[in-house]
Amino acid sequence: MIEAYRNIAPKGDLMLLAKLGEALRGRSFLHVNSTREGGGVAEILHRMIPILQELGINTRWEVIEGDARFFDITKKIHNALQGNEETITEQMWAYHSEVNQRNADKLDLEADAVLIHDPQPAALINYRKGGIWMWRCHIDASGPQMAVWNALKRHCEKYDAAVFSVAKFARAMPVEEFIIPPSIDPVSDKNRDLTPAEIDDAASRFGIPRDRPMLLQVSRFDRFKDPIGVIKAYRMVKKYNDCVLVLAGSPASDDPEGEAVLNEVKEYASGDKDIIILLLPAFSDRDINALQRMATVVLQKSLKEGFGLTVSEAMWKEKPVLGGAVGGIPLQIVHGVNGFLVHATEGAAFRIRQLLTNPAMAKRMGERGKEYVRTNFLITRQARDYLSIWYALEHNGKKVLEL
Amino acid sequence: MAKIFEFKQCVIILKSTGKKAKNLRELKDVLSSVSEGAITHHTYQYFLKGHVLEYTNDFAHWAGEGIEERALAERLSNIDPYDYPSIQELRSDLISAIDDHLATFPEPRDAMRGDEFHFNETVALVFPAGVRARNLAEFLMAMKYLEGSSLYYHFYDARVRLGNKADDFSQWLEEGMEKPEVARKVRSIDPFMHNLESIRERIVEAVEEEVKRDMESAGVAQ
Repeated sequence: MIEAYRNIAPKGDLMLLAKLGEALRGRSFLHVNSTREGGGVAEILHRMIPILQELGINTRWEVIEGDARFFDITKKIHNALQGNEETITEQMWAYHSEVNQRNADKLDLEADAVLIHDPQPAALINYRKGGIWMWRCHIDASGPQMAVWNALKRHCEKYDAAVFSVAKFARAMPVEEFIIPPSIDPVSDKNRDLTPAEIDDAASRFGIPRDRPMLLQVSRFDRFKDPIGVIKAYRMVKKYNDCVLVLAGSPASDDPEGEAVLNEVKEYASGDKDIIILLLPAFSDRDINALQRMATVVLQKSLKEGFGLTVSEAMWKEKPVLGGAVGGIPLQIVHGVNGFLVHATEGAAFRIRQLLTNPAMAKRMGERGKEYVRTNFLITRQARDYLSIWYALEHNGKKVLEL
Repeated sequence: MAKIFEFKQCVIILKSTGKKAKNLRELKDVLSSVSEGAITHHTYQYFLKGHVLEYTNDFAHWAGEGIEERALAERLSNIDPYDYPSIQELRSDLISAIDDHLATFPEPRDAMRGDEFHFNETVALVFPAGVRARNLAEFLMAMKYLEGSSLYYHFYDARVRLGNKADDFSQWLEEGMEKPEVARKVRSIDPFMHNLESIRERIVEAVEEEVKRDMESAGVAQ
């Protein structure tokens, strides 16, 4: 498994992983989340657990079980942490704790290090048997509903450390707080190299003309991803540069607004055969990969964003990316170096025109983007970081650790 | 000094202090009480980030980009952290620069939501890069392919460790290889005017010249 990353991931990351593997060999590392399938957390755990095991660390991944009522509550907690208005009653919190307790009775929670992902299993800390416990928050908790955060915090403060994706997502807490950005897997179906035949096959299946530059946004049909703004920008560009726009997204079962937004987008795009709207089934990783590889410019023109890993995915394919300056996007796009950060539709249109009329600049940005992702956003870096904080917590207080 | 140069590498893991500032007055307040580790990170470790544009530390960067106070960004960019015997003195000069700016210019605007300055600290993990050099030619090869974090460790971080404005490379070139001239060239590279890649280019250029000269004087060339 690790061998697959040699000559792809930075050598230093692999060396540090090996060193940390030596230091932690034979120790146990438990991950707990709430789903085995679907979502970015499960996707990365599927790939990361074998890497950690190969390093000689006895790594397990447990999933908590809950009923519809529990997941309805945790969905509301998730939304409230992102700032939406939600009411979580004491009774609902009690049920959250009760389900956590039931899971604690069933699961083997004994490990030298335990990483609990997101709010669903956060209350498991109350059943800690030993070891170092870390709570991993994948959510942008920078502007939460305070009542909900304060209730959840009762559990989070009992951990040895909390881990957030971006510094601005973190909340002040009386525990150590580490910043570990998420990552992409360069050898997965979504990001591995594709043959020209695989790309051509996707293009013909989706009816995408290859004779003109292609603009692409891959995202859920969600107003925060601003698909209408993307079409507006495309129309501004189209006056000067003939091009095709592809909007590709998967339906999200937890997003009741998705269908309404998709219909709005279809209606707004109607009559233009150069706008191609694709509703892809879940797990269309290879098709998304192909779309990103056939694109000339990739957009992630979000108005609000979590981390926005589609940016790194496109950069890994050496594409220049335009992103809204929100969430984790400014961490990935260094403005003017490997892409452009935009603040308005006009800005997006202007930057697309710049890139379409200056292919050399687009190529240079794409190349820099790939190197930036190689250094900062590959799964090997994230695995390295998890082991680093475990190691750092065991050497508490030391600011420099020599291995 | 040992003749063999053991290249090391360092990785830093960010830690949030939970403190942030949305305007200059808050920045000043937090600066006066935040940990020394946070000040170290936002000044000394700035160059580890690779893509340096026109600033030399995070405070200057935020003043210039976050709240668009160019005059303050210029002034903060001119603060050389290696000039200070202690973080306390560096802290005090950063605060003075902000005080002077607040006294001279109209009240600056707040940063947009999401653009606040977040104070972070770090834990550094230092480990062998798996490369060593026994002579100038091996050193030159290593310099061409080393990762940025290794360059950072030996060129920037060394200045704090050695406490004398020197870097590991020039020290080894001078004492280990007895090449004072090439050591002087490396030492004279202004750490604030380059990013890691351009530091690499300059060191390679200086060492390459010396290797060529050695080869010519040994009659190897031609």
